[in-house]
Amino acid sequence: MALTDIQPRARRLPLDPSLIIVVLLLAGVVIAGLSLSDRFGTLRNFTNVLEQASALGFASLGQALVVIVGGIDLSIGAIVTASTVLMASVVELHPALMIPMIFGTLAFGALIGFINGYVTIKTGVHPLIVTLGTASILNGAVLIFTLQPTGGVPFWFEEFAYGRIGAVMPISGLVMLICFALAWGFLRYTSTGRAFYAVGGSPEAARLTGIRSNRITLMAYSASGFFAAMAGAYFVSRTGVGDPRVGDPITLASITPVILGGLILGGGKGNILGVLLGVFLISLLSNLLNYMNVSTFIQWVIQGLIIIFAVSIYVHKGKKL
Amino acid sequence: MTEIAARSGGEPFAAKLQQFAVPIALVALMGVATAVQPSFLSPNNLQDILTQAAPLALVVLGQAFVILVRGLDLSVASLMASVAVLATAFNATSDAMIPVIFVAAVAVSAAVGLINGLLVTKRNVSPFLATLAMMIVLQGIRFYYTQGSPSGSLPEGFRFLGAGQMLGIPVNVLALALSFAVLGWLLHKSSFGRKIYITGGNPVAADLVGIRSHRVIIACYMISSVMAGIAGLFLVGFVGTVDNWVGRGYELDAIVACVIGGVALTGGRGTLWGAAAGALILVLIFNIVIILGLPVQAQLMIKGLIIIIAAALFARAQRA
Amino acid sequence: MIRLDGITKVFPGVKSLDTVSFEARAGEIHALLGENGAGKSTLIKTIAGAYIPEAGSIEFDGERRAWSSPKEAKDAGIHIIYQELMLFPEMTVAENIFIGEAPRNRLGLIDYRRMYARAAEALERLGHNLDPRALIKDLSVADQQMVEIAKALVGETKLLVLDEPTAVISGREAELLFDRVKRLRDQGVCIIYISHRLEEIFAIADRVTVLKDGQYVGTREIGDLNRDQLVAMMVGRELADIFPATKGARTDAAPALAVRNLQAPPKVKNVSFDLYPGEILGLAGLVGAGRSEVAHAIFGSMPRTDGAVTLGGEAFNTPTPRAAIDRGLGFLTEDRKGEGLMMLLDMAANVTAPVLPEFTNGLGLDRGHEVLAAEDEIKRFRIAIPGPKYGVKQLSGGNQQKILFGRWTRACRRVLILDEPTRGVDVGAKVEIYEIIRKLADEGVGILVISSELPEIVGLCSRVLVMREGLITGEVSGGDINEETIMQHATASVGADAA
Repeated sequence: MALTDIQPRARRLPLDPSLIIVVLLLAGVVIAGLSLSDRFGTLRNFTNVLEQASALGFASLGQALVVIVGGIDLSIGAIVTASTVLMASVVELHPALMIPMIFGTLAFGALIGFINGYVTIKTGVHPLIVTLGTASILNGAVLIFTLQPTGGVPFWFEEFAYGRIGAVMPISGLVMLICFALAWGFLRYTSTGRAFYAVGGSPEAARLTGIRSNRITLMAYSASGFFAAMAGAYFVSRTGVGDPRVGDPITLASITPVILGGLILGGGKGNILGVLLGVFLISLLSNLLNYMNVSTFIQWVIQGLIIIFAVSIYVHKGKKL
Repeated sequence: MTEIAARSGGEPFAAKLQQFAVPIALVALMGVATAVQPSFLSPNNLQDILTQAAPLALVVLGQAFVILVRGLDLSVASLMASVAVLATAFNATSDAMIPVIFVAAVAVSAAVGLINGLLVTKRNVSPFLATLAMMIVLQGIRFYYTQGSPSGSLPEGFRFLGAGQMLGIPVNVLALALSFAVLGWLLHKSSFGRKIYITGGNPVAADLVGIRSHRVIIACYMISSVMAGIAGLFLVGFVGTVDNWVGRGYELDAIVACVIGGVALTGGRGTLWGAAAGALILVLIFNIVIILGLPVQAQLMIKGLIIIIAAALFARAQRA
Repeated sequence: MIRLDGITKVFPGVKSLDTVSFEARAGEIHALLGENGAGKSTLIKTIAGAYIPEAGSIEFDGERRAWSSPKEAKDAGIHIIYQELMLFPEMTVAENIFIGEAPRNRLGLIDYRRMYARAAEALERLGHNLDPRALIKDLSVADQQMVEIAKALVGETKLLVLDEPTAVISGREAELLFDRVKRLRDQGVCIIYISHRLEEIFAIADRVTVLKDGQYVGTREIGDLNRDQLVAMMVGRELADIFPATKGARTDAAPALAVRNLQAPPKVKNVSFDLYPGEILGLAGLVGAGRSEVAHAIFGSMPRTDGAVTLGGEAFNTPTPRAAIDRGLGFLTEDRKGEGLMMLLDMAANVTAPVLPEFTNGLGLDRGHEVLAAEDEIKRFRIAIPGPKYGVKQLSGGNQQKILFGRWTRACRRVLILDEPTRGVDVGAKVEIYEIIRKLADEGVGILVISSELPEIVGLCSRVLVMREGLITGEVSGGDINEETIMQHATASVGADAA
């Protein structure tokens, strides 16, 4: 093949093959929604879904970055919880600190993530155990501090959740979409981003190729903590308080979109946009099932079956827990 | 019991420490507890602790089998609660129904374990996801059936399982001892146990020496589920009421106990005795927190610290 | 270009490199030679910055260096092509070529257009046409290797190390590789070439350095050496002393194993042969020719799509490893650590694994019986281990291999398939293993030896089958067995052979 044959050809299909399943499922849900419910297709509904999806979106984005480098983060829920309590209780005492505390909370999340990564690298303990341990410590600390929702934030902060740009676009949802776009660009268009996949594919090969694997791993866990804190900020904005239980369901929930998006536990593979589609799929599905008055309980069953369905379809090689 | 595990010549100190770390930790914790509260070592108190520990320890024994074959069972707690709800579904009033309930519980549990095992072996689903999905599915079915709040009733005799005594020993402690003996024989004395260690240590080599590793793995998931089901019944007997969250958190506690007890998540390494000791250590720590008058939530923090430290120590010893 | 002085590297319990010195110049191809376990790979990883030596100094390009990570060595212009290629299967060719240093645009973002163009250019320079957008996992091993070499071409590579590059490629591809490597030498690159194939060394190297048991033996101009002298440097003794004097011959008995039209795609296309009791039959061919896959398909650890196998006169057509073992067929696999030993279990458990029922009584496993049996094997094969209850991880390759011989000879008395039986084993243990194989054949076991070490095949076997691309392309026996004939069959094009 001569040089000239190659150059003009455009980048393959716009659609990554690993996204086909999630796209098909998403299309199925949308079609079902449009035909089964009058309210599903309204602009207002999509605005609401987008806003409510943002917490799951932040959490799944962080989880995805860790999964790409071959890890897993079971402390996301605990970081979400701790962030809400930290932010709401500090700001209640010193309302003037609202804006600095937004950054402070995000830094706190990133720090916890950094600790996860650091302990994983230094001890060689499976990230499952490390992040489980961190989660337990954080949850314990928060519950010692308070058993009830606590703290408060200035009224204007609810704009993050409830604010709409042009009456349609929720601010939180927009921020989430921007985060995904930035993460996508980072993973695709920077050397450091490509290195995430290399480290997840084979840490030893990455090291021997001159990639600083440890640094990449630390970045991934820090980012996960950061985005968990983002989800925490969203909850504070939505409810106005710090809730010592709010993060509990988030940890496991954050894994489902990652799996649906075609990432594999063990790392090295997958498109972050698939995760975003996975977030939409889960959010729209529960939205639709709510309209159809399907009980939450049945929704759980469906969620479990979706996980099994998704992982059974994607071919899994080299599984590690 | 560790004799088939390799002894290496001139093993470094760290490796020796590993072998004795678990009993040393156990004794040290008992020392701490006695120092804080001299009545700790009284037979009554020890019996109380064992009674409390029994349901968790039953789950831990099963979990150890799964972890030994490089697996993980996150569905155990959800299964415990589901079995508890199943028990009330009979609305039995006569104690004669207890055996029927028992058989039904074991059968359902075995089926759950079979599905987990099939997903992991035949569909190649990662154990984490397969059992996570099972956990959620069971939870959904359970809540749907109870519509959020269980309403059935249990025969009076059920209390006996959790709180009764035989020959002066609590029934659930007896059940634990019996399970430990049977499973200990299975794991450490039978050829099936050897197959577990071979499969967990090197699944490829296991197939090449003619061991049907898929069957071994499936059997381990079934053991885990059945133990969880039985533990669920005992826990209901102990607590006395059924709710949808019976055993909540046990899946993680069981994994923590195994790791503290030296059962490695990488498979093929660890003993049943270690796992049981891990469960006892965990329960002892919970008790010491209470004795010291610390808030209950401090248990969570200490648990988190301990699992990281224990896992790090074992990882270091294995590398040496 | 590079000078190593007094390098010592110790792993727990093993001194892998013992005050080794080594020096290579710009514009030469310097061969690094030694048996498995001689320390070649350790030396390479030291050069690469992947290992930090306990003692000794490294001088590169006139400067004294102490790498603390592979990245530093890489940035200084050292490129290593490992035996296990360091490629990422889920990424494209171009992404692999530019891993870590992709071309960027003004915003500092990866410029894919330029990356693909430059990758195509590099491949062009290599004379190898590959789509830079293809995923690595879709390429053949030879193509993957070319990607590795292209990686070296896009950077400022001053020193290129190739670790056994021809282990996975054959005839024409190997020639292409030599051509490229020579071209790089002429451009002034310093090349260190590791191989144990002597023909190759004579074909391309300018100088050669020999390592043995972690120690430096010597460096020579290639023109000053002949083949025998080089072998003597490597093994420290003459080849004639290594193999048993007699070769077993095919007997008149019925075949112990008969294979007809065996097919197990994609690697095994059509294979037929007979193996007689007491015979040592060689199965030669290049890596990737499908030899191990034939063994797996016979043994039942890989599915067959067609063909008939007869074992001891009985059809064996619904194979599983369990059934094979029960019928007296054993398979000592190539990858001792990955597929053979159970590192977490003691020696006794490793020996009895295929025949657990024999050691089971009414109460469970009979540990005493098992330990006695293992003690027998320790004596029989003179295994250097304190006792059956000791672990196998710390043992030398030779002793580990003898434990596996203990396992399979105990379990299977009819046919043994030995895949690379002396890989990673020192010369002393090799001699012992050859004697063991000879003795087993004398006892009437039919033995199929798969080996990439041609001298081993020549010295051991009374008949040799040669495979190429999933087919048997030749059979030689008796006095016709020599390395040249075998290589001809192994590299001949399949079409030409059929004609």
